[in-house]
Order: sequence, then structure tokens, then C-alpha cells
Amino acid sequence: MTDNSYLPQIGRIADIQEETRGARAIKTFQVEFPDSEGFEHDCGQCAMLSIFGRGESMISIASSPLVKEYKQFSIMRMGRVTSAFHDARVGDFIGVRGPYGNRFPLADWKGRDLVFVGGGVGLAPMWGALQTAVAQGEDYGKISLFYGARTAGDIMYKADLERLQGAVEVQLSVDAPEAGWQGYTGFVPANLMDKAPSSANAIAITCGPPIMIKFVIQNLKALGFADEQIYTTIENKMKCGIGKCGRCNVGKDYVCTTGPVYSWAELKDLPQEY
Amino acid sequence: MEKILSKDRLREWVDALDDCEVLAPAFADSVWNYARVEAETVIDLSHTNTINPPKQFAFPQREVFFRFERADGVPRLTPTLPDPRPTVVIGVRPCDGRGMPRNDTVFSKEFKDPYYWARRERLVLVGLACNQPHSPNCVCQSVGGAPHAEEGLDVLMTDLGDRFHVKGITAKGGELIARGGDAFASLQAGDPAEVARVHAAASSHPQRPVAELGTVAEAIRARFDSPLWEEMARHCIGCGICTYLCPTCHCFDINDEVTNPNHGTGERVRTWDNCQFPDFTMHTSGHNPRGDLGSRLRQRVAHKFLYFVENHGTQQCTGCGRCISECPVGIDIVAVVDRVSRA
Repeated sequence: MTDNSYLPQIGRIADIQEETRGARAIKTFQVEFPDSEGFEHDCGQCAMLSIFGRGESMISIASSPLVKEYKQFSIMRMGRVTSAFHDARVGDFIGVRGPYGNRFPLADWKGRDLVFVGGGVGLAPMWGALQTAVAQGEDYGKISLFYGARTAGDIMYKADLERLQGAVEVQLSVDAPEAGWQGYTGFVPANLMDKAPSSANAIAITCGPPIMIKFVIQNLKALGFADEQIYTTIENKMKCGIGKCGRCNVGKDYVCTTGPVYSWAELKDLPQEY
Repeated sequence: MEKILSKDRLREWVDALDDCEVLAPAFADSVWNYARVEAETVIDLSHTNTINPPKQFAFPQREVFFRFERADGVPRLTPTLPDPRPTVVIGVRPCDGRGMPRNDTVFSKEFKDPYYWARRERLVLVGLACNQPHSPNCVCQSVGGAPHAEEGLDVLMTDLGDRFHVKGITAKGGELIARGGDAFASLQAGDPAEVARVHAAASSHPQRPVAELGTVAEAIRARFDSPLWEEMARHCIGCGICTYLCPTCHCFDINDEVTNPNHGTGERVRTWDNCQFPDFTMHTSGHNPRGDLGSRLRQRVAHKFLYFVENHGTQQCTGCGRCISECPVGIDIVAVVDRVSRA
């Protein structure tokens, strides 16, 4: 990395997977650094990705830090920059700077059960932590994942989720009844209550739409999880990623440097500016 | 280092700084603003305060980070770090001087901003103490400063009628005075007492109090969700002049400006941005954490009087009064803080 935090490294898109379709489709990109060292990152951190001429967006790094060959990013088509990514092809070059933000304190969670609770594209920010915990499975207790999407077609990382069954107790849900659906029908917080994972010696990590997070946290507390046992990530509009441009703050914290990972014990006392 | 500079020898000092860009206040289009001192410029330090604070000399309104182009399909980036001549700004009022170390803090922290510091390291601020307030909205003393505060300045000059008392505050300031050579004279026996008298007289002008400064942060925290904010912001037109003219507002945007779409050439550019604009925080989804006027006024006031105190131990407002004087609808940060404190 150079001393110039604003100067991106040049990354090359090595692979593109179409995760979901529709107006808000999700694609997963593997990015390599052909001419530079790339960077090391921790679970939960983000990177500022750009397509030159279109602009930058802060995207969470979905790959595990154990994967050195590439960084993985799952991007939903939303605005100018993310649409440009959706129009990109394998072999295209992008700008990457980072990593930014804090981390999931995975090392502190050794010996405990991990309950991941995600909705929609919210699986991506937790994915690196989940992959790392699975790879170091002997260090952790039971690992479970509650993941839901609006329809079966909106479920991302499908092949990986099938591969993970066994190492991870995967509990999938869709919002509404659907022909042929074998998993739970209903919202993620309801599925969580239905399966009622034990809070004893466990850590819960949740990421997804704000309304889902709100009810997941309510339900986790009903299941006996203390504020210190619940972790989430928050996102806000970001431009610099280095705590200067002034917009991503939640109270005194700039999410880009102090966040995005918060325990509920920390987050509940901050203003609801996210 | 303390010296006396006869007013008719100010130009001699400036002329000795021939390798520097020298700026001084000039009156044009009904306002004082900094302008480059040219050979024919008559330097007039009778200014009130400049409409723009000097932050622009380290943090310009528009700054190109790098140029991008495509060469054989691969993007090539050319950083455009500034390499300015040493820049001397004369006549900086102490409120604006106190703004600069606050900006220095923001552009340091965990990540040092190379563009800011390339300019800042070559910037020398020559202050001029205020012998009287320039407007009813001058509140420097109410936020912990003074009409002759030295913080952030390299040199502080005090107007003693036909001459300036000139004090080097930093090593950089001392060197700048040394370059004036014979233009400067030594202090006479009565000068220190005269300087003290002028400073004391300036400080004796009453200023509007900013509530109980020590309790403002707590009051804002306690009334974070108060309907007062929306009530006080109701007439805000969101023009953002309050932040653009603020000596310590530093928020910015970063965008790509394409110059030739056919060749993939363009520039990544930083421009000043503004917490009073809805766009500032609006997510692409349309969700906006600060979607109403009240939350945006609260952000501006809380940043100055709560968050900056929590993060850096001092208020971010230095009491220049511009945001009050220049607001087209009369939103008054002193009154806002006062009301929140009394609520």
C-alpha cells in the first residue's frame, strides 16, 4: 500500500457468479491483483471499489482472510457504481483501496457456539467470518446459519450453502409459501424463534435489512442472548473510508473506521443514525 | 521572537518573501477576501474578517486526486499530489487561526491525508489580533478563544496604531520574521505594556455567551431526540453556506469526472460537501439516516459541540460567527445551542 490512501490498487475481475436475478440482482466477483501485492484483511472489513469514470462504493469483503489468491465481493445492483459492476466482465480492471473498518473479534469467540443470522445480501458481510470459523472448526462449538430471502430464487451462495451442510447447521427460509420449498416459510426472525438456538456460551452475528435486524435482536434477547453476545454490522453512505469526509457518522463514530462491526452492547447506546 | 514593524515597512517584509505565494485580505465585491499580493498591491490590514476562512489554502474547494486513462485496456493512474510554493497568508484572524489545528486533527488521525498535508506543511499563517469585534456574532471568547489567541498561528501581529507588534509563535513563524531583516525593529521599553493594554481592551468587549460551554455537550446528548431541532431548522433552505464558510467544516465528496468517455480518461476529484444536503447521507436505496432538516441541523451543531469534544477533547467551533452572519434565513448557532441548553 502506498501512503496515499486515496490511490487505489488496480484489481482484475477474475470471476463473476450470478447469484440472484431481477431488478436488484446480486453478483459475486473474485478480484485479483495482477500488478500489486493486494492486501491482508480481517473478517468484517470492507474495501472501496471503483470503476474508473463511474465512481467508488464501499463493499464488504466476503472472502475469508485465509484465502490469499483473491478477494470476493458480492454486489447488489442498486446505483451508478454497483450497476457498472453488474455490467462489467471477467478480465475488466477495477480500483480497490482498503481494507477499511474494524473486524469481527473471531479470536475472542473460540470455544463458543456461533449463530449467524442473515437476510438477503446481508449474508456477504458475515461470509468471511463464517468461512473462517468453518475452516478453523475445531476452535469453535456448533456453527449454525439462519438465512432467509424473499424467494428461493433470491438465495445467494446456493452451492456453497449446500457444501457447508454438515459443518454448519444451515436453516434456510423464504418469506412466503412457494411450491417445492423444503425449508422454513416465514421471516428470518420467526425461523430463529422456531429453532431456538441455545444462548449458552454462544455468540450471534446478524446482518441484513434494518427491519430484520431489529426483530432478530429482539428475538435473540428473548432467547437469552445478552447484549454482549450479539454482533451486527451497520452501513452508511461513505466516500473516503478513512474517517474524514464526514457523512457515515453515527453520533461520534465514523462507521468506516470505528465500525462496521458493533456488539449490540455498543450499538444500543448510539443514536439511530443508520 | 517579538519585534516591532512600522506599518510603512510591511511591504518591505512581504517583498523579502519573494519565493512565496503571499496572500492578504483585499476588499472587492463588497467583501473582504484573501487575494494574492502582487507587485502593485497596496496591503490593507484594516479588514474586518475575510468572507472565506483560510482553510482553502490547505483544503481547496476542488482537488484532483489522480487522473485515470486507459492504456491497452488497462487503467493507468497518475496521482496529482500538490507541490505548491510556500504560501504565506497575512491577516488571519485568531478565530480562523484556531480552526487550522482542528482541521489538522481531522486530516491526520489514523490516516494522514497526503493532499492536505502537502499544502499545509508549506502554509504559514500570519495572524492579526482583533482590537474590537467585527460583528455582533463574534463569539471567540465564548468558545475558549480570544481576540489575540495564538493557537494555530505561526505569527501574531497586533495593531498598535502606526506600527505592528509581531510575535513569532512557531519556528516557521520565527523564520518568516527573520527574513524581514531590517524591516523589523526591537521592542521599546513601553511596547510590552502597550500590547498587553490593547489585548486587554479587545477582550473587554462583551460577547454573546455560548450557554455554559462545559455543559453544552451533555445538553445536546440529553436532547438528541428533542422536537426542538426540527422546530429550529424549519426555515432552513438547505443552502449550506454555514458549512462552506466555516473555518473547521471539512466534509467532502469524491467523484469521478470523465473528460473523454471514448478513451476512458478522467479525474477523481474531491470537492467540499455539506451535511445540510439530504444527499449527503442518503443511501442508494433511498433510506436516509438524516432525512429531515432537524437531524441535519443537529448534526452540524452536535459535530461542533458534542462529537468533536468526545473525539478530540475540544469544541470544533472557534466563534468566527460567519454561519450566523451569512445565513439567509437567520439560523443562529449560538441561539440554537442556548435553546438546547435551556430546554
